[in-house]
Parts: sequence; C-alpha cells; structure tokens
Amino acid sequence: MMSGTLRFVADDLQIMALTFMGIVYILRIRWLLRFKPGQERQAPTGSPDTSSFKGIIYSWGNIAMPWAMESTRQKLFFYAQFVLFHLAVAASITMSFIIPYAPGLIKPMVLVRGLQGLFAAGCLIGCYRLYRRLTNPYIRQISTPDDIFSLLLLMVWLFVSIGAAPNRPDQGEGPLLIYFIMTAFFLVYVPFSKISHYLYYPFTRYYFGKSMGYRGVYPIKRGPQPKPNKV
Amino acid sequence: MLEKARSHKVKKVIERMGKKLNRQVVGSLVACVHCGMCTESCHYVLANPDDPTFAPAYKADQIRKIFKRHFDWTGRIFPWWVKAQDLYVDEELEKLKDIVFGKCTNCRRCSINCPMGVDFATLNRMARGLLTSVGIMPEGLAAVSKDQWEIGNQMGVLKEDYLETLEWLSDELEKEMGDPVARIPIDKMDADVVYAINPREIKYDPRTVSDAARIFYLAGENWTMASDGWDITNFGFFSGDDELANTVVRRLFEKVIELRGKKLVLSECGHGYRSARCEGPNWTGMDTPFAMESSVLTMLRYIKEGRIKVDRNKNDLPVTFHDSCNNARSCGFFEEPRELLNLVVTDFREMYPNRAENYCCSGGGGAMSMSEYTPLRLKAAKVKADQLQATEAKTVVTTCHNCVDALTDLIRHYKLGMKVTQMVNLVSNAVVVEEKVVAPVEVLILRGYKILVVDDEPDILTFLSAVFEDQGATVVQASDGEQALDLARQEKPDLITLDLSMPGKNGAYVFEELRKNPELAATRVCIITGKPELRRLIYDRPVRPPEGYLDKPINEESLLVNVRKILEVAHEERKLN
Repeated sequence: MMSGTLRFVADDLQIMALTFMGIVYILRIRWLLRFKPGQERQAPTGSPDTSSFKGIIYSWGNIAMPWAMESTRQKLFFYAQFVLFHLAVAASITMSFIIPYAPGLIKPMVLVRGLQGLFAAGCLIGCYRLYRRLTNPYIRQISTPDDIFSLLLLMVWLFVSIGAAPNRPDQGEGPLLIYFIMTAFFLVYVPFSKISHYLYYPFTRYYFGKSMGYRGVYPIKRGPQPKPNKV
Repeated sequence: MLEKARSHKVKKVIERMGKKLNRQVVGSLVACVHCGMCTESCHYVLANPDDPTFAPAYKADQIRKIFKRHFDWTGRIFPWWVKAQDLYVDEELEKLKDIVFGKCTNCRRCSINCPMGVDFATLNRMARGLLTSVGIMPEGLAAVSKDQWEIGNQMGVLKEDYLETLEWLSDELEKEMGDPVARIPIDKMDADVVYAINPREIKYDPRTVSDAARIFYLAGENWTMASDGWDITNFGFFSGDDELANTVVRRLFEKVIELRGKKLVLSECGHGYRSARCEGPNWTGMDTPFAMESSVLTMLRYIKEGRIKVDRNKNDLPVTFHDSCNNARSCGFFEEPRELLNLVVTDFREMYPNRAENYCCSGGGGAMSMSEYTPLRLKAAKVKADQLQATEAKTVVTTCHNCVDALTDLIRHYKLGMKVTQMVNLVSNAVVVEEKVVAPVEVLILRGYKILVVDDEPDILTFLSAVFEDQGATVVQASDGEQALDLARQEKPDLITLDLSMPGKNGAYVFEELRKNPELAATRVCIITGKPELRRLIYDRPVRPPEGYLDKPINEESLLVNVRKILEVAHEERKLN
C-alpha cells in the first residue's frame, strides 16, 4: 500500500510535470515550425533507386544501423554503450508509468533483476561518459554546464531507479519517493536541456534524409573496399 | 547598467542571422548533443590531433553560441548554462572568419557522420555568408568574387581572350582531324548541348577544352559553347554570398535559354556542378527548360551508345579515383565516374574510403584561393596523401578542377610522385579515331543558308555546289555575270561566291554592281579566282571590299572554313544590329 504522499508524487505530480513538459514541447515545436523549410527545386540526382522517401527512412533508421556511418562503424563498443544507456533511460521512463498504473507488469523477480541490471549498466555507462566528457580534450572543449548536468542527472536517476524497480513501498517508501520526485524534476527540466535531442532527432534526420535521398547520397553506398595497408 | 556597445558589423551579422535561418539550419543549431562522434571524420582534426578547436562540433559551436544567445530560449535567459555568447567587436568576427574559412572546407564529411543529422557544412556556409555580407572574408576570395561580379567569370578572363583561345583550340582540332567541321561552335542556336566550363580551363588547362571538343566532334554532337555566361564556377557558393551565387547561376541559365539549348553540359568541376545542377534552381527559383548533366555522364553515354569508340589499353598505368565532395557527398554523383573509368583504363584501383565517405582533397570550399591558410590546408591534406599513397597508383583522376589543383599541391608537398588528370583527358586519350569521320546531319554547318555560286566553268560550279549542299546549304548557280546579278536580286542569297574571269560582265563588274545596289550591298561576297593578280582590281574599287578572297585551285576544307567564318561574322553582326 502506498502512502498518500507517495501516491501524490507517483501520480499527480507526474501528471503535472508531464503536462508542463508537453506544453513546453508544443511551444518548442511551434517555434521550430515557424521557420520555413528549404526546398529542393532541382531534378533529383544520383541513383534512380533512391528517393526522398527512402532517404528519410534510411535517415531515421540510422540510429539502429551502426554500419551506416563511419563514426559508429569504427566505434562499435561506443555504439553498444549508447544503445544500452538509452535502453536503460527508456526502461526507467516506462517504469515510472507502470509502477502507479500497472504494477503487476513488473512483479516477476526475474524482470525486476533484469531492470536493475539494465539501470546499473546505464548508470555505469553514464559514469564513463561523464569521465570521458571531463577528460577527453575534444569533448571537454565543447561541453556546457547543461551537458554535464544532464548526464549527471540521468546517472543519478538511473541509480535511483535500481532501488525503485522492486516497487516495495512496504519495505520503505524512500527509494520510490526519491525516484518519482527525480522523475518529475527530470520531466520539467528536460525541455530546456540537451536531453530534448530526442524531440529534434526526427526533425533533423527527416530533413537531412529527405535532401540526401533526393540527391542520391542516402542510402550510403559503399563499394568493395579492400582494407589498405597504409590507411 | 549600461549596455555594452556593439560594432556596426556585429549588429548587422546578428540581424542578418535571423533572416538566414530556415528550419533545417535551426534544426542543426539546436540538435547537437556534443557527443563528439563527428570529431574524427574531419581531416583537419586528423592532422591536428592535439588541437580540439578543429573538431567540427567546436567549430559549429562558434556559430551556435551566437544563435543561442539571440534566438534560443535557454541561451537568452541562462547563457552561461549552454555556453551561449554574445558578440560585440569586429575582432570576434575576424576570429570567426579564421574558423569558418580557414578550418573547414565545407566538405560535409562530418554531416554524414553525425548521429543527429546536424548538417555542419550548411551552418558553416551560412556563417561565411554573414561575414561576407559585412566585408569580412579572406582577401583572395574577395578578389575572385569581385572578378566574378564584374567580369562575369572568376578568373577575370576577358571575352576577347576567351574567344581567341577557343579559336586557336579550334584551329588545332581542325588540323588534327583534317576536317573543317572540327571546330568549337560559338553561340550556335538550338544546339543539343551547350557546354560550359571552369575559367581555369581557358587560362591554365585549355587541353581539357580541346579534349572535350574532340570528343563532341567525334560523337557527332550538335553542340556549342557560349560567348558569355560560360563560367560554371561559383564563388558565391564558397563565400556564402547567396546574391552572387544566384547571379552567377542565373547568367549561366539565361544564356542557355537565349541559345535555346536543349541540355547544359557542365565540365568536370565539383562545386560548379553542384552549384548549377543541385543548388542553382534553389538559389534562382528558376524552373530550367533544359536538362543539366555532368560531362562525365555525357561521355559515358557516348560510349554506351556507340557514338565514340574507346580503347582502354591506351591508358594502361594504374589509376585511382578521387571523389569530389560536392559531386559525391552532395549530389550522389559517384557511380558514373567509376563506370566510365572502367571503360577507359586498364588498371583502376579504388581508394579507401571512397564515394560519399571519401576525404576532402583539402582544397574545397574555396580553400585554394585563401593563401593565408595554405600551411593549414597542406597539413590537413595528410590523410588524403596517405589515401593516395596506399593505392600505389601512378595517376589520380578526379572530376573537379579545384581537386586537381589541391591534389597537385599536396602531391608536390608530400612528394608522392603522382600525376593528376581528369576524366576528359583519359577519354580523349582512349578514343579511337576512325580514318575519316563522316559528319552527321546534326553538324551541317551551312544548314539554313542560301549561297549563290557564280562561275563560268561547269566543273567548278558543280564542285562548289556539291560542297555547299553537302553541308546543308541551298545553292543557286549562275554561269555568267548577268545571270548572277539577276539571281542575286531574285534570291537574296546570304553569300555569293564569285569568279572574276567570266565572259560578258566579269566578276569585278558584278561585284561593284552588287555593292552599289542598296538592296544587295550587304550581301556577303567571297571572290574565288584563278588569277590572284586581279586582287588589286577588286580592292582598289571605291566600294566595301569582299568578305573573302580565295585563290584557285581550292580545296574543300579551306573553302568551308572561309565560308563558315564569313557567315558566322554576318550572323554576329546581325545580332548586334
């Protein structure tokens, strides 16, 4: 049984935070749509097998195709970290809905342990990413306080998620209270932070893919490329 | 608190940034997550591993922070939180200039390696345009842009020099082919192909023009070059000056429309191809009534259609191919050059990486005209040098003049001992020239003209008539002076070939009568005589001299060259009047 306070933070507070986030995002999207999109008036170029549509699909699917870009192809371990980290974040967001509305879905202990493992992995990757951000001169140079704070926030949130995953208020509401309060803060902060990149991803990828598909660049084509000796 | 004063130029840059933003640009400005995945895709980074200011994300951030400070929520309220930054003085713009012009070639390699789809090259071009609009740009780029604005081409080639060069290239081609038809047509109306080039070809590499002319001739193409509006390069594209970019492309398009050309064929120039073919319709807002293609595609088609035959054994040294960034990464033009190469060389070796993933030659984005950044450019060319060396090829082929210069420079700098060439040179070298090329119907040089042939010798009359008719002219014959004058009045020919020694009214008399008749005075006359000593008789007359004077015996080639020249000049004069 949840206390009134826990019920409030797990339910009402989340709805308020979500509503706030939704409103800010609507305003943000409206702002983005105020800018006119550039047009492609020229006849299409490149292979006749490609098109704007294929370019868009390819561009959106890029996230799931580590072989598509040299930057991910050559850093598969880094890509795996990215996948795991984002899966952990997505799982924790899902869990914030399941606990108040369908707690039965994460009752089986094996599932709880799986989630905890995922959150722990996400948290560790966050630690590594933070270390990289602070030590790699290239990344440190471009990092903003927002970049660092957002990463820190997610790390701590994933860490707290480990304690919340069993959903056992009877054994103490502390972990759940912290988890939901953090989730609410997260929802309110996200629209103003770099974490909003998931909102922009479909936009940037749509337009880039549309143009690159129309111009015959997407899907990227690589011919037989024998590994050279010197490069 | 007093607001810090902002320079006039800075004010303008900020104001104009707001006008330049479109949805794609704003998306790229807000979406960067600073993940650093783009870092190693940049050739500047690879050559300067200890300097993080070369990272594409860092360079983009120098533009992004201005945007954030003035146009984005968080940056306006909490600038320090997202490293938004204001600009105040011109020195800050100068620093930005060194980044957007000196540390990036707009090659777009980082754009295709960004997981978020941030198109840094587009941001960079926008920033260049903003700086250019307030006069902050590399001097070399400014000088070249000025030439393109004022003279109409980026190398300041004067029209007379351009036409003269084409003339001697024509003479050489004609000599080589032994055919008077083998010339470069200028401003020919209704041609199937209008061929436009990079001014560098005229000034430093005319061989590419003569090779192209050779190929067009052998393919029996109905083609022409324009007397103006022929420059496909575009320094507005490099400087980000959309107005210049638009003007340059418009000149090119309008000339093709004026000539009623069916297709604009663009010579091998990477940014020229992209500017005209892929960006031109967007800058000008024009729906072009003609098709556009790269000359690489044209040559490939000629071979496939059997219009020219090639023997690839003529190019038997190992060859590698460098993809121009503008062709491959921004126009998807990378398979056709390979298909063509495989038809004209015996040993083609792929470079790694290639196509859209190829590294920049280091001379892109107008870098070859920014001498202040040359040491930086050559240092950044190291990865390209390594790429080239790894192929162990003797020759590198590219479809871009900028790349030719940059590759030549880096080959010299890194002592690679390679040669740089273009597709047109290889095709021209591989082409098989038949014993006698029969000019097809499309190249009938006298089509549409009416010629009055006047001679008392039936053999000469028949010979001249046959030559002119073979070239599409309508021929009217007269065997004496009286008949000649009658027919001239009736038929109003474009040209009269006139013998001097004829029974009755001789040629000199007929010529003077023609000139004195206001209706016929403008008719072009070419004297053809077996008595060269009579020349004085003609030139001493108090009338305008004849347009041509040929001595018998006469051969077909010189006859056609002279007659064609006379008619072309007449055509030009009519246009001017």
